[in-house]
Amino acid sequence: MDEGAWMALRLSLQVASLATLLVLLPGVPLAYFLARFEFRGKGLVSALVGLPLVLPPTAVGYLLLEAFSVHGILGKESLGFDPGILLTWRGAVLAAAVMSLPLVVRTARVTFEGVDPRLEMMARTLGHGRLATFASFTLPLSFKGLLAAAILGFTRAIGEFGATVTIAGNIPGRTQTLASAIFSAQQVGADREAYFLLAVSLAVGFTSILLSEHLSRKGLARASTSPSGAS
Amino acid sequence: MSDQPQTGLEIRIRLPLDRFDLEVDFSSQTQVMGVFGSSGAGKTSLLETVAGLRRQAQGRIRLGAELWFDSSSGTFLRPEERHIGYVPQDGLLFPHRNVRRNLLSGAARARRNGGRLEDTFASVCRLLELEPLLQRPVTTLSGGERKRVALGRALCSGPRLLLMDEPLASLDLPLRRRVLPFLRRVRREFRTPTLLVSHDPAEIQALCDELIVLHEGHVIARGSPRQVLTDPKIFPLAEEAGFENLLPGVLISTQGATSQVRLGESESPLQLTAPKSTAQVGDDLMVGIPAHEIIIATDHPQGLSARNILPAKITSIEDLVGLRLVRAALGPDLPDLAIQVTSQAMSGLELRPGKPVHLIIKATGCSIYSGRGEQGQTPPSKAAG
Repeated sequence: MDEGAWMALRLSLQVASLATLLVLLPGVPLAYFLARFEFRGKGLVSALVGLPLVLPPTAVGYLLLEAFSVHGILGKESLGFDPGILLTWRGAVLAAAVMSLPLVVRTARVTFEGVDPRLEMMARTLGHGRLATFASFTLPLSFKGLLAAAILGFTRAIGEFGATVTIAGNIPGRTQTLASAIFSAQQVGADREAYFLLAVSLAVGFTSILLSEHLSRKGLARASTSPSGAS
Repeated sequence: MSDQPQTGLEIRIRLPLDRFDLEVDFSSQTQVMGVFGSSGAGKTSLLETVAGLRRQAQGRIRLGAELWFDSSSGTFLRPEERHIGYVPQDGLLFPHRNVRRNLLSGAARARRNGGRLEDTFASVCRLLELEPLLQRPVTTLSGGERKRVALGRALCSGPRLLLMDEPLASLDLPLRRRVLPFLRRVRREFRTPTLLVSHDPAEIQALCDELIVLHEGHVIARGSPRQVLTDPKIFPLAEEAGFENLLPGVLISTQGATSQVRLGESESPLQLTAPKSTAQVGDDLMVGIPAHEIIIATDHPQGLSARNILPAKITSIEDLVGLRLVRAALGPDLPDLAIQVTSQAMSGLELRPGKPVHLIIKATGCSIYSGRGEQGQTPPSKAAG
C-alpha cells in the first residue's frame, strides 16, 4: 500500500480527534443550556446549531472560506495576523468541527434531557453549587450518552469531505484526508488504493456507530431515576 | 424544644399554584412541626419553597437568626446555602452511586459545618440499619430501604432543618409499621428541627410535636397532633386517611398469637393485649387502635371475648355528622383516645365529660408498629442538654 494512503488515514484520525475535542468544549455546555433553560432566542440558537446538518457541506465550506479569506471578517486584515486556516490541516479541523457540531449537540441535549432535573435539585440541597452539581452529578449521570455524542461527532468528522476540500483543499500529505483521498483515487482510476481506503472507512465508521448506539441506550437507562420512581 | 432556642422556624409565604394560592403563616419553636392535608393541598409546594427549589413566592422564611427568603428585600438564599436535609417522597437517590456514596453525598457540607461526620455516619448506619446495604447499587433496593437511605443521606449532610415529604407514603401497610420506628429513633437521637408534611395520621401522631392542617392552600387548624386530628372539623379528613389512636408502649411478653404491651412510661400499670408482631420483648413500640374499634361501657363488663378492658375517663364529647366523637383519658402520660360512637348508641349511656368508663378493645383490633430487628432503647441523645 502506498504511503499516501497511510498519511491520509493518519491525518484523518488526527483531524477528527482534534475536531471532536474542539466541538465538545462549547457543544456540551450549549447542549446543557438548551436542555435545561428557557431563554429568548432559544429557537434561533437551536436552528443555527442545526444549520450545518441541512446545508450542503460545500456551502458551509464556502461560508468558512469567505470568513477566513484575507478580507473576510476573520481574515488577516481584520484580525491583524494570519489565522492559518486556509489550505492547512487547521482548516480541515475547523471544517470537520463545524459539520459535526449539530450531531454532538443534539445527542448531548437528548442525554441531558434524560437526566431527572430533580436529581440536580437534590444535589443542590445537599450543599453543592451549580457548577459542582454539574461536574459531580450531571456529568457522571450522562457520561455514556456524552461518550456516544463524542463518537458520533468523531465519525462525522472522519467522513467530512465537502467543507474540508473547499477550505483546506486536497493536498496529498498536507490536507488530504481519507475522504478526499478516496475521491482522488477514484478520479485517477487507482482502484486498489480506493478499495483499501474504502475498507478502512467502513471499519472505522461501522465500529463507531455500533459503539455509539450501544452507549446511548445504556446511558439513557442509567440516567433515569429508580424503578420505583416518582409517585 | 427549650434547648434549641435559636432554631425557631418562621414561614410567612404566599405562593400562586395552579388551582389556588398557597398561604401559610406560622412560626414554630417545636422540634418537629407537622403539616397535615390531603393530596393536592399544597404540602409539597410548601416544602419546595422552604428548600429554595421554588422562587415564585411572596413573603419571608427564616430559620433562627438566618433569613432565607424575603421578597420585600429581595433576599433569596440558594438551596445549597440553606443547609437543609431534604427527604423527598420518592427518595431521589443518585442512581450512579452506591448506598454508601449516596449517604455521603452531602458529606462535604457536613465537614464544613464542623460536624463529626464519622460519628454521624456511624449512628445513621446503626439507627437505620444500613450497614448491610452500604455496597449495594441503589437500583436494587426495596421501597423501605430507599426511604431509609434517603433519610440517612439527609442526616449525614449536617442539616440545620430536615424537610420530610410523606416519609411513609408509597409503602404498604406492614412496611409503614416497620419504617415508622426508624423515624422515631432518628427524632429521638438527632433532635434536628424538622418540617414534616404528611397525609398519614399515624406518622403525624408518632413524630410531630405540633401540627397545622392545610386545606386548598390555607391553614385551617393548628395545635397538638392528637387535639387537631380529633377536632370534629378535621376528624373526617383524618378518618378517611386511616386514623388510628397511637399509643407508645413497651413489649413485655409474647404468648401464642398475642403479645402483651405495657402502655406509656415504665411505672404505668396499663397493659394491652395485641396481636403478635416481629418485635422482641423489651422493644419500644407503638400500638395503633382505630377509633371505631373501641366500645364504651359504663359498668365493668362480664363474660366478654374481648381481651382488653381499660379504665378511662371521658374528657370531651363532640358531634360528627351522624356520629359522636368521644375523647377519653387513660392516664396522665398517655394521649387521649378518640372513640367513634353512633348518636343512637350514645343516648342511653348518659355520657358526659368527667364520667369514668371502661373501654373495650379486641386484641385483633390493635396493630403494632415496630421496627424489624429493633435494638431496644437507644443511648441518650448527644444533643441533649
